[in-house]
Amino acid sequence: MGLFEKPKSIWSILNSRPITFYTSSFPLEKVGSSFFHGERFTSRPLTGEGAMASHTFLSLLLFYFYTFHLVHPIHCSVGSNAFDTTSAPQEEFSEELLLKPLPDYKVLAHFHFTSTSPPSSSNGQHHHLFPKSIAQLVKKYKIRELELSFTQGRWNYDRWGASDPLSTANGKPPGVELWALFDIPTKEEIDATWRNLTHSLSGLFCASINFLESSTSYSAPLWGFLPNNGDLRYGALPREAVCTENITPWLKLLPCRDKAGIASLLDRPSIYRGHYHSQRLKLRSDGLNGIVIEQTLSVVLQPIDRTSWSMHQLFKKSLMGKCALAKSSKVFLEIERSLVSQNENILELVGEADMVTNDQRDHSTIYQYNVERYSEHEALDIRVNWKKLLQVSFLQTPLHASRFLMGSGNERGSIAISLQSARNSTKGLYDNSKNCFTRVVIFQVVPWYVKVYYHTLRIYVDGAIRDAKDVVEKINVTPSEDKVSPGTLEMMLQFPCGMMSAALTLDFDKGFLHIDEYPPDANQGFDIPSALVSFPDFISRRIYPDSISSPLLQSYKGRNIVKSYTEVLLVPLTTPDFSMPYNVITFTCTVLALYFGSMVNVLRRRVSEEERLAKSKDKRKPGLIPLLISKISNKVRGIKEDSANQSQSSQPILGPKVVFKVVLIALIAVLGHYFFNSS
Amino acid sequence: MASDPMGSQLRRILSIFFSLSIILPLSSPSPTMHNNNWAVLVCTSRFWFNYRHMANTLSLYRTVKRLGIPDERIILMLADDMACNARNNYPAQVFNNENHQLNLYGDNVEVDYRGYEVTVENFLRVLTGRHEASVPRSKHLLSDEGSHILLYMTGHGGNEFLKFQDTEELQSHDLADAVKQMKEKNRFKELLIMVDTCQAATLFSQLQSPGVVTIGSSMKGENSYSHHLDPDVGVSVVDRFTFYTLAFFERLDMYSNASLNSLFTSYDPTLLMSTAYYRTDLYERPLNMVPVTNFFGSVMKTIPTDSAYPGFLVAHASEYAAISAETETARVVLEDEADHSKTYDQSEKGLQHTLDEWLKLLEGKLGVKDPEVLVAYGLGSMVLLLTISTWLSS
Repeated sequence: MGLFEKPKSIWSILNSRPITFYTSSFPLEKVGSSFFHGERFTSRPLTGEGAMASHTFLSLLLFYFYTFHLVHPIHCSVGSNAFDTTSAPQEEFSEELLLKPLPDYKVLAHFHFTSTSPPSSSNGQHHHLFPKSIAQLVKKYKIRELELSFTQGRWNYDRWGASDPLSTANGKPPGVELWALFDIPTKEEIDATWRNLTHSLSGLFCASINFLESSTSYSAPLWGFLPNNGDLRYGALPREAVCTENITPWLKLLPCRDKAGIASLLDRPSIYRGHYHSQRLKLRSDGLNGIVIEQTLSVVLQPIDRTSWSMHQLFKKSLMGKCALAKSSKVFLEIERSLVSQNENILELVGEADMVTNDQRDHSTIYQYNVERYSEHEALDIRVNWKKLLQVSFLQTPLHASRFLMGSGNERGSIAISLQSARNSTKGLYDNSKNCFTRVVIFQVVPWYVKVYYHTLRIYVDGAIRDAKDVVEKINVTPSEDKVSPGTLEMMLQFPCGMMSAALTLDFDKGFLHIDEYPPDANQGFDIPSALVSFPDFISRRIYPDSISSPLLQSYKGRNIVKSYTEVLLVPLTTPDFSMPYNVITFTCTVLALYFGSMVNVLRRRVSEEERLAKSKDKRKPGLIPLLISKISNKVRGIKEDSANQSQSSQPILGPKVVFKVVLIALIAVLGHYFFNSS
Repeated sequence: MASDPMGSQLRRILSIFFSLSIILPLSSPSPTMHNNNWAVLVCTSRFWFNYRHMANTLSLYRTVKRLGIPDERIILMLADDMACNARNNYPAQVFNNENHQLNLYGDNVEVDYRGYEVTVENFLRVLTGRHEASVPRSKHLLSDEGSHILLYMTGHGGNEFLKFQDTEELQSHDLADAVKQMKEKNRFKELLIMVDTCQAATLFSQLQSPGVVTIGSSMKGENSYSHHLDPDVGVSVVDRFTFYTLAFFERLDMYSNASLNSLFTSYDPTLLMSTAYYRTDLYERPLNMVPVTNFFGSVMKTIPTDSAYPGFLVAHASEYAAISAETETARVVLEDEADHSKTYDQSEKGLQHTLDEWLKLLEGKLGVKDPEVLVAYGLGSMVLLLTISTWLSS
């Protein structure tokens, strides 16, 4: 397991990527020497001029390669090493930033970094741009697909949009969410691998992802989250904190870290001040394309001045050129069509874009800025001015989902999921104009201590209770098992098109935990992870002309199902007074002591014997010795009393003498003490 | 001709003996060299009002990083998230002073154990190195017998215990057992335990392992107090003991020669409102000879060894002995350089130099096959050694 340590120092970063541009001397030397290692070794036994000649030849060669590397650092170090044939696929890295004004005058900044590594057979275990730690992870755990997200805040589906590709991809549940698809045949092996994976990721990303290790915290959904053959594992930690320590290792996976390029904009206080913050790592691996990792960071920021903002104001940093190792480095500004009304432009852009395009269905306009045109002398700073404030909202999901708790007390309650039809969603925009049913898939995982009774499922459509058979098309329930596994609910529902609202309720009992299982802040309550509500009939995609080559916009083209996460639920459980165990211990001890005391008494005490002894004592006369002792004791008492009387009476006579003696001794003592101390 | 092999053998034995006689008295106090540094920094308190404990720990984190301990050798345990706490008015920032000059959280902080992971169990696992197989390397304390470890703990404590997360306690016996186990497993050479809690001194009462030096912020029956409250953050931001520790370290850089003694005596009980207590009875070296950078900084000098495999050199035992004697002197000089004053250091160097010269002379003279000359030189060297040893001991 020791393979996967997080890349803590710059040296480990350098070691993992031998050729980097901005730290040229050390890694280049390394490459050069390793290349000639074999020849050098063979030249050692040579003597005299031959050795000299071979050495000069070698050093010349080395010099040649050094200069070659230094003069054309980008051309030969980007991608694969210089000795490769050009036809082989190479490692690539691209960085992008998409800025999008939101209707409530906030700004969404979406950072997108893509690294690709060709199938491992082509260049073995060596990587130039691709993070080695991730490649090792994929290889070791046979991961086909993995997504890890760290989120703080909740994506506001009402205002920030719900059915465009960016929101579908951006909306993530608060805390940590991790899911992975494995290329492993048996269930047991997958579980074991998952456990190791969580530990590795926990070390890699400075987070407590290892809490997903226990079988009570992860589940294996079959189709509710993502259709699969049982090789998917899903886990969420709703209360995981997200802060600088998580982004530090995440940035270290980038070839330029945050020293150059778009990532240099990431000023920690600015990005963590945002209303929503989601940092993700998504990786796909297959034999054809090798490994592709997408690192994205979405932040929703509130500009200080609502009507006018610029990149510099948002991030408090300037974008001064691209990361030299990036194949492409672009900044996009996406303006939703709904923000720009037909007759007048309420937005004004300052700065000239390199390219302006609309998507195929004219939902949005993209302004493209190529970062390589900018430098330290001329930083890229996109400025947007709002001419008029307008209340608009972006495309909504067909049904707006929210989840809440019902009931009171610490014994039982119920979970309700409510689905409200979004009035402004226009059906014609979507793919399902012919179908008169809206399909909804609900996936939720509930920890075992919330014991859900799935038979109590009630479904209301437009306020009237409906038979579950009429609405539920498909259902898969994995009931929870105490302290072993969580309860998983996957449910596909079919609602009529004209429906305005629907609600589902499920009753539950609250369980009791063992005293050791309570977290330190148990009084705060326990979190139930977000449920996922997806709409398989609705696809979010945006197609842009092929003239823009961008991994970010390419990902928009995919057929992404519209989905939204619900709120995290906070369930207060009965929390014991944690001093109770001590009370119990003291009580138990008292009872035990009493019990054993009386037991010993009963067993050891011989009543008849004692009675006999007592009788014989009465019979016997007091012996000589006891008599003597009593006499002496009486005498002593008498003398004592006498002496006490004497001293009391003689005190006034002896008083001054005694006092004098005491004072004298005290004086001598003090003097002696002083003398000894001073000497 | 029969005497020739005998002579060479004798020569070899003698040279080994002489070189050993040089090595042994010098190397006896420390069998292994101090060659790496580790820091374990623990904040055991949860909840927002304990902001200052996290600030304490992060201040120490920043200090040891500044003085040269790399991030992969620091185990940082933070029991709660203060930097991105919803109550924090300054997201991703932690301050230890109301002037807000310094953001302790920085841009590159790496927390190894955080939140619910900070438990007594995990803490003891880190110290003793007994982890589950799947725990990643970054969460291990990979120290060895040449390590100097700084263990800093802060939180709420009492008589012989330190609370973790307000739910469990680390008792002084637990700590002592863990340290004992570490010693037996050769997990450290020297260990400095620094604790900032109420009645911190009581936490050290059970320690028995040699090579441990401890300092606590307060004696039994005393409380440790916070230094000041930051009205913008809304809570106290640093504890007194840590504040004055930092005040001491702010003046230093990684090349400073300040000794542990100067650190320990720098605490003023009237400023601290408690008495800093340090226990040195388990520690051999005099505190005024130990630079603080031995614990708070990192080893910067690397000493090249002649071979990675000592077995390779057995064939040339005499050469090896002579070489190792030289390197050993170099080591001692290096160690002394940090500890002693310059003049003393130089006289020591000169002495080593003359000894080396004498050895060389001996080696030369050993070529002569006259046993009497040999004996005379042997006696001479004995006398020399005797005088040197008496001079050194006086």
